Amino acid sequence: MEKVRVMIVDDSKISRTILANHLSKTNFEVVAMAANAAEALKLYQEHNPELVTMDMNLPDADGIECTKRIRGFDPEAKIIMISAMKDASLVAKGRAVGISAFLQKPVSTNDIIDTLLLLSQQQANKVAVLRESYAKAFERALQQGLLNIIGVNSKTSVDSYDKRYLEIDGVAVIIGLTGYPVGRAIMYMSRDTVKAFTSTMLGTDEVTDEEMNEAVEEAANIVIGRGASNINDVFKDKEMRITPPGTISGSGIKIASPKLTTFKLTASSQVGDIFINVGFAEGE
Amino acid sequence: MDAKLINPFIDAFITVMPQIGFPIPKRTRAYVQSKVITNFGVAVMLGFTKQIRGNVIYNMNDDTAKFIASTMMMGMPINEVDAMAQSAIAEMSNMLAANTATNLTALELEVDISTPSVTVGKDTKIKIGSGQYLTIEMDMGGHKVDIAIAVDRDM
Repeated sequence: MEKVRVMIVDDSKISRTILANHLSKTNFEVVAMAANAAEALKLYQEHNPELVTMDMNLPDADGIECTKRIRGFDPEAKIIMISAMKDASLVAKGRAVGISAFLQKPVSTNDIIDTLLLLSQQQANKVAVLRESYAKAFERALQQGLLNIIGVNSKTSVDSYDKRYLEIDGVAVIIGLTGYPVGRAIMYMSRDTVKAFTSTMLGTDEVTDEEMNEAVEEAANIVIGRGASNINDVFKDKEMRITPPGTISGSGIKIASPKLTTFKLTASSQVGDIFINVGFAEGE
Repeated sequence: MDAKLINPFIDAFITVMPQIGFPIPKRTRAYVQSKVITNFGVAVMLGFTKQIRGNVIYNMNDDTAKFIASTMMMGMPINEVDAMAQSAIAEMSNMLAANTATNLTALELEVDISTPSVTVGKDTKIKIGSGQYLTIEMDMGGHKVDIAIAVDRDM
């Protein structure tokens, strides 16, 4: 997976652990942890991380000096200063040696993500952040939801979705996402799958069109609501909310969502394939 | 549904559309629909959360969709509702929803808006609420856009 490789420089074991815990919930991979400036330079040379988080207080040099040494080796190094104190003089000194961003302890997961998005020049990284931190939260919700709602196990996957629109024959439920990040999720399935899904849910083979639409609508509400809750559990400082559903049924339905980064989540189960297409506006 | 919540949508349409180059819209009729709307060709849906929850749909036929896209792109000829046209219509819907949100703030109602979903497919059915809801038909120089509004205060 397209993980963003990070090195943590901090003299406190507690601070390193807290930060590593934050990062492990997202798509960051902590490839190295350094407790002092000498170790930081050595590990940077060994691991070549994409991003460095830098503490100000180190036993053998301060964060500014350590940054100078790392950027002396790699002038392109992207370094975020994370310190207990953040004032104008520190920011000025930091900027002078090429620190890209300043965060104050304690740092929220969301601040780290936002900072990374800003620093990340590569589209691939933005997509990776959205996939690992947001799309996967919906994938887990889809798998858990199907087990709870109709009692079936499913095999799930997440893929990037690059087509300009979604084409659907069957039932699609659109639920808007507001807050952070803003976007929308669409749960959909083919007519045959809807029928099997509803039959399993209601325990009867005789199901009406209205029951089928309502079954998918209810499932979408539960699954997408749970996905948003999964995200809110990790990013506690910003809240994602879901709008009421809009349910479309018919054949040859096309749904376009211009300017979104979208992912297709698939759950293969005994009732058929159930999909969620989830899209996020990039940035805020 | 609270009738006070309707005006912010109509006012937004009347304010925003002339700013992006359209004739001044007129409100031509209002009617009540139940549960389902029928897509005229292109229907854009946006959702609201926070103190207002619900959905709005801007529903129009292909000709009007092409007229809107063409006007927004400085008169560029548009022959079909392609990706560029869908993008223009999504952008217009964003502007309308943002202006509606501002109008709702004046009623001391804070709202957040989802991104728009542009659904294409004449005669497909879209259910946006479980009860009745109001639709306002707006006319811009012969082009009609129906605004279907299914929103409520979040208690």
